[in-house]
Parts: sequence; C-alpha cells; structure tokens
Amino acid sequence: MPTTQEIPTASPIGRGTPRIDGPLKVSGAAHYASDFHFPELLYAVPVEATIANGKIRQLDTAAAEKMPGVRAIFHRKNIGKIFRSSAGKGNEGICIERRPAFEDDVVRYYGQYVALAVADTFESAKAAADAVVVTYAKEKPNVEFKLTADHDPDTVETSYGPEKRVQSERGDAAAAFASAPVKLDQTYVTPAETHVPIELQGTTAMWDGDHLTVYEESQAIFNLRSVLAQMFGLPYENVRVITKFVGSGFGSKLWPWTHCPLAVAAARQLGKPVKLVLGRKMTFQAAGHRAHTQQRLRLGATPEGKLVSLQQDYVYERSMLEEYHENCGEATSFHYSVPNLRVHFGRARRNIGTPSDMRGPGAVPGLYATESAMNELADQLKLDLVQFRILNEPKIDEGEGIPFSSRHYVECLQLGAEKFGWSKRNPDVGSMKRDGLTLGWGVAGAAWIATRDDAAANVELRDDGSVRVACGVQDIGTGTYTVLALLTADKTGVPVEKVEVVLGDTMLPHGPVSGGSWATASVVPAVFAAADNAMTALLNAATTTPGSPFENRKQDDLAFKGGRVFVKADGPGGGVPFADLLKRADLRLVTGSGRSEGIFGSKAKPKFSMHSYGCHFAEVTWQPEIARLRVSRVVTVIDGGRIINPLAGRNQIEGAVVMGIGMALLEHTTYDPQNGAPINSNLADYIVAVNADVPKLEVHFLDYPDLELNAIGARGIGEIGLAGIAAAITAATNHATGVRVRELPIRIEDLLKSSVLA
Amino acid sequence: MAGLLTTAGPAITTLAQRSEKAEQELSAATKDAIPVTLHVNGQKHNLRIDPRTTLLDCLREHLHLTGSKKGCDHGQCGACTVHVNGRRMNSCLCLAAMYQGDEITTIEGVGQPGNLHPIQEAFVAHDAYQCGYCTCGQIMSAVALLSEPVGPEDAEVKEFMSGNICRCGAYQNIVEAIQSVRQSTNRQKAG
Repeated sequence: MPTTQEIPTASPIGRGTPRIDGPLKVSGAAHYASDFHFPELLYAVPVEATIANGKIRQLDTAAAEKMPGVRAIFHRKNIGKIFRSSAGKGNEGICIERRPAFEDDVVRYYGQYVALAVADTFESAKAAADAVVVTYAKEKPNVEFKLTADHDPDTVETSYGPEKRVQSERGDAAAAFASAPVKLDQTYVTPAETHVPIELQGTTAMWDGDHLTVYEESQAIFNLRSVLAQMFGLPYENVRVITKFVGSGFGSKLWPWTHCPLAVAAARQLGKPVKLVLGRKMTFQAAGHRAHTQQRLRLGATPEGKLVSLQQDYVYERSMLEEYHENCGEATSFHYSVPNLRVHFGRARRNIGTPSDMRGPGAVPGLYATESAMNELADQLKLDLVQFRILNEPKIDEGEGIPFSSRHYVECLQLGAEKFGWSKRNPDVGSMKRDGLTLGWGVAGAAWIATRDDAAANVELRDDGSVRVACGVQDIGTGTYTVLALLTADKTGVPVEKVEVVLGDTMLPHGPVSGGSWATASVVPAVFAAADNAMTALLNAATTTPGSPFENRKQDDLAFKGGRVFVKADGPGGGVPFADLLKRADLRLVTGSGRSEGIFGSKAKPKFSMHSYGCHFAEVTWQPEIARLRVSRVVTVIDGGRIINPLAGRNQIEGAVVMGIGMALLEHTTYDPQNGAPINSNLADYIVAVNADVPKLEVHFLDYPDLELNAIGARGIGEIGLAGIAAAITAATNHATGVRVRELPIRIEDLLKSSVLA
Repeated sequence: MAGLLTTAGPAITTLAQRSEKAEQELSAATKDAIPVTLHVNGQKHNLRIDPRTTLLDCLREHLHLTGSKKGCDHGQCGACTVHVNGRRMNSCLCLAAMYQGDEITTIEGVGQPGNLHPIQEAFVAHDAYQCGYCTCGQIMSAVALLSEPVGPEDAEVKEFMSGNICRCGAYQNIVEAIQSVRQSTNRQKAG
C-alpha cells in the first residue's frame, strides 16, 4: 500500500509556530466584520446625544429625511419593537447595557443614541445624521471624579449576579490593623480607561424572512445569537452570527452594545442589509470602558515583614441604569498569606456610558493598588521588594481554604530577579545612574483566574489525508486558529499544514467566549474528545471493511498515531495512513464530535484554586532637566500553565506590557464636567503607547502544566500580562524620582515634585 | 488555511465576479455623484462617486479592497495607510476625487497569499501582529520605509513606524520583522 503521509517526529505543542492565518492577515485577505459586502447594502450612522442628563424634547428629522440618498431616519417612534434580553446560565443572553436604544426619551449619558440615519452611501448617512436637530430639556450631569459610595444593601445585584459587598473576610482585620507595629493606609486611584481596539465596533445585519444573519466583531458569537433572538423575538436557530476575524477587543466586544440591535432593526424596517460601523468617538461614549476606581488599602505587618492585616475598601463608578461590577478584589484574598483580611466594595452612579470588562477586569486595577501598597510597605519596613513578597507566600488559597492547583509565584520572582539583575539594586532613591540618566527599578506581582467555559468541537478525518476541526469560537488576535490546528495535529499526528481550522460562525459547534483568558483552556478537552471520536470511527471502519489490512482485528489491538493506524503489538514502525483506510472503505471522511462542560460559575465548591501568576521587573530612566520619564526595560515572568505556542504567547504578554506602559503613563478617559462628554475621545487625545514608547521587553514562561484544568495543562494568558505592570512602573518611578504616584496615569505635574534634580 | 477562505459567508460578491458596468451602477447611487478615474494596483477604475468620498471609503466600499482599514477616520492610527505615487499616505485624510491620475497601491497590490512581499513574509515569520487589523497599514508603512532615509538602528525604525498604532502591542516583533528584511537586503547589496 502506498504511503502518502509523513510521520511527524514530535508533538507541535510547545514549539513556536507562525500563525496559520498569517498570510491572510498580512495581505488584506482576512475578512473582518465590516469587510463584507452585499447587494443593495445600506449604511447607517447613529445620532449621538450631546447632553449627558436630561430628556429629548423634540427630534426634528424633516431636513435630514429630504437629503439625497437618505432611506430613513429612525427614532423611538418608528424603529419598531426591540425587546430586552435576560442572561441565563453560562454565557448566554448577556448585555451589559440592557436598555435597548430609543426605549425612552431619557438621556443618561453623553453620546447615547437618539436617532439613526440610513442612506445609500456612508457619506449621505453621515450628512443626514448631522442634519437631525435634537432639542433637549437639559439637567446638570454628574461626572464628579471623586467617588463616594452610594447607599447600597449588603448584597447587591450586579450584571453577573448577586455579590456580597464584603467579598472576603477572615480574622479581625480592623483590630489586627489597629495593633500592627507597622502600618500603611493609602488610597490608590485608577481613571476610566477605554479599550480602543483598532477595529471599530460595527454590525452588518440582513434578514431573510424571519431569519437573521449578522456579521459582527464579537468575542462571544453564541451570546450575541441568544441576545438577538431575545431582542427580536426569534427562535434561537433563526439567528446566525459570523465573525471570521476580530480586530482585537480587550473586552469591548464581549457583549453587544446598543448600536447592534439598531442596525438589525433598521434592516428589518427597510428590507435590505444595513451596515453600521461606529466612529472612533462613539466607541468612547457607548461601547464600554474600564471603570474609574478608588481603593483604600490598609496593611499591617510585623517589623520582620510578616503581614498581619490587609483591608481593601474600593469604590467604582457605574452608569445610571446598569450594575457592572468592577471586581478589584479578584486576587486580594489569596495572593499573600495574611491571617486577618477584609475586602469590601461600594459603587457610585455617574452620567456615563456603562463601564464593562476591560482586559483583566477588576484584577488589573485591583492589583495595581494591592501591589503598590506592598511596595510602599516594603519600603517602610526597609525590606527588599522581592524578599517581602516571598516572606508572605501562602501555602494554600487562604480565601477559599483550598490548595492551589499549580502556583509558582516565588519562582517567577526569583527568575525575574535573576534575569533583570535585581541584586544590583541600590534601594536609595535617585542613587542609580547610567549614561547621565537616573534609573529607577521596580517590581510587582500578577495573578489572573484560570478557568474553562462550555465548549464543543467537531473533527473530520478526510480521505486526502487532511483533517478539519470546527468550533464556534473566535480568534481575537490571540492565535486561536493556530491553537486549534496545533491541538488537532498533536492528537491525530497530522502535520499542522494539513489541518484546516474553521471557526467564528454560530452554524458550528458551540464555542466558548474569547474572554477571561478562557478560550484556549476551554477548547482543549472539546477538541481532544472530538478527535478521539473521529479516530474511533476510523478504527471502526478499519476493522469492519472487507479487505482492510485490519479486517476482523479488535479495535483495542490497534493504535492511531502519527496519522497512521497500526497493530499495537507490532509497534508504530509499519502501519497504514488513515487516508488509505478511508479510501478502501469508500469513505470521504469520518467525523467525531466532542464537548466539555465549563467550570466557571459552577456552584460546586472547587477542589483547587486555579490561577495564573507572574511578575514584572521594570526600569525607568529619569531626566530631571526636562522632566522626562521613560520605561527603558521590562522583564516579565509568567506562570501560565503549559504554553501551546510560545511564539504567539510571548507576543501576547509583550502586548499586555505595552498596554501596561500606557496604563501607567498615558491612558485616562476624561469627562467634561460641563456636558459630561468623554472629551479626549480620539486617538490623538486618548494616548496609547506607540512603537517609539516601547523599550526592550523580555518575557519568560515557567511552563508548568496545570493538569487540574485540562489534559495538557494549558491556561489562558491574554490578561495576566497586564496585571501588576503599572505598580512595577510606579515603584520604579518612585525609586528614580522620589515621587510616589497613587493616581494613574503618572503625569508630568507629579514628577515636577521630584527631589532628584540631577 | 483554505477553510478560513471558503467559509467566509454565503452572499459575498468578490471584486473578480463583478463587471465594470455593475461597478459603475453600484457606485452611482447618489444623484450628486461625479465621475472619477482611479489607478489602483495597476488597474484603471472608472467610478461615479459622491465627491465627499474619502480615498479609504472609496477603496473599501466601492472597489471592495478591504485590506485598508478604518480605525479612526482622523489620520491618527495609520490602519488606512496606502501608497500614492510611492509615498505613504493616510487614505482616510484623502478625498478620492483628488487622486485621479495618481498611482495608488494598496496592500492587495503588495502581495497575496502564495506571492508575499518579503515584508509580508517577515511579518508572518516574526509574529509581527496579533489581531491583524492594523497589520496592512503597518506593512504599507514598512514597505515605504525601505526606500525612506531611515538610519540602521531599531530606534530609528521605531520612530518611523510610530504613526501606525498596534493596540495589541506587537511593536517589538514589528521592528524585528522590518530589520530582518533591511539586513538581508543590505547583505544582498554588499554581496
């Protein structure tokens, strides 16, 4: 029998593999949601409220309606019914802004949509939207920066279910703090930050009778399907969502925003496909942002540096109608050993678009505060910042009272210190110099939850020797296409080039959300089960087909490895390529389906505490003559389970550090107290790090598999890299300048207070 | 990879499938449209477009060359970068009607899967992207940079590439990819 397949020598998992979708991405052939075209496509542009609090008094659409090319101006009275949606178990039906656009005439934030212009061209639609005249009964908006908690009961409803405001408590934190020999009591502030993925949010919607198809850059297509089915009163199976590529999301594309059902409703009313892509300004107003937080940290320790008490009291902003929970206590209860602890939160309503999940939600602002407090307390104790952390390493998760599945935080710190050269640090402020610049060195730790969502997949073995794997998951830039190819290649022994990956469509098996750093961990068991089932089908054909070399063999006697079937007793030397067995059985292909249940949100008490860990060592340079502070070097170590593709994995951590440089030095969404508008709502005024801002970044993975999570021990690594980095940079800044910045971002005004003048 | 292409969607009209006549009808939707002739990737296009149409929207919505992306519509992000007579431009800041007679090159004209430009190949090999949305603009800048007066150091490349924002933060790999092509070109010149 001819052999048509090579036997790969080893698993591709853990080897740096260029993305399989790379050639499409570099040539413009990768199609993102707004790249699709349809006959008779119409363009929609929303009209944005120019007040942040009040009521629409009058909406004059007469002039706009008469403009050339205009098909309709939609508003509350003519858009047709849009129902609300309700969240169920798992990630189904979730909307963070639950009020559909146009539901009433009340304006609660600047930029809320009040009308929608639809025309034959984008230019006509934009001109018509600008020509709609809205008069308002205006009231003073509340966008006050200082946060005072609203009166709330002890347990509050949030977008993700009820939460106790005392999130975690053990011992008597207040009494232990009162009697602690060394104390720190400081408040840390993080501003509103906006995700600004370079791909703008948008929806292209079309109807065929009572069937709806939507192209949208969604991080969770099955959630969007369930939301739209509810909002338009459709059977679930009548809604199809397609998302082949996502121009990153960072959480802003996890759950649908109010423009999406507007595009769907406009397409319904006009009987033609409608494309609605937000302008950049709109993405600052009505497509989510990281909540502004204010966190009081009280830490008590012995003179030797053992923590005795930790209290975190935080307040965050929320919008007028919604209850998005910014969980700053995410990592507080387990990250260090401390016998007395209390984590408590409050909320403050503001006339702003609702905050939502942004990369490492809760944990990123939370760890900025707790790690900053750890650094300040270590300085107070005159202890090394690394040693102080190691001194307080916990043996178990003291918040849950359960063991860690796999925690190597101390090793992260030790390896990072070695790679960075931390032992050469002179702790005196302004004492280290290089090339005429003052250096500052800082460190901080990181943690992020490791969990799994529900997932299903399908694997086909085909008679040309190729394998197809399909899963309704999304690739938001994390390398999911390639991860699925690597997992399938690993399991079947087929080379990566022969694996076809299909994702991003609700016609496919139900995939997990691309959020929470869960997608990779979630697809592992589903893809493996699907591949196992496909291989069983193949063995079944091999043992039952007349004339097959394995006819009448028991399936248990056979093995499937390296893309070949062989008799176990004979060893893998011989064997027959699976494609030949398919051909002999007159099979084009055999298929296998696999699914796995998620563990996130499960009510059962977990046996293990599962998280990723890491640390950042940051160096800044300080030039007092021109008050210039730059990040000049970062070494990051990540304990993120087994890394499937280190090429993409390292890139992802580096990218998170880049965002962290922005968080520490550049990014803040500012609300105008006069009209409530986010005033820096463009990419020249909301500053993110560009190429020249980014120094040499070094990333190391520990690569310990977390086998409690899945069979290969892979966790997600999309968010962990942003946790802690801002605290490392503020510590380095203090070391260089003597200025302790407790409100991000670090501003030049802060640094002008520096005592280090040369 | 074939799967990524074949499952793109049921109702897509590709550029190749559309006749020139259909192209004209499609773009003559507004009464105030004006005739415009553009030379894109070596091909002549006779269009009727709204005079307010930017070069970016013209490429994307009329010629269906969607590799050029809209990220800000303000000339702030660089995702829409194209070449006009060999110079890089933010196509969102250009009115299409003003570029008749100019040679316009988009990413689709730089290289295609199976026939990639060395910069495109280097971006794949160095993983110089994540989501890929800013990538075509990054590559258009990088290809233009090869013939710009840029010094040999990474710092100079970073400066020249700072008009293209990558929110995923793949900057280190972008610089590596560009430098690998520049160094191999220099070696070839030296050899």
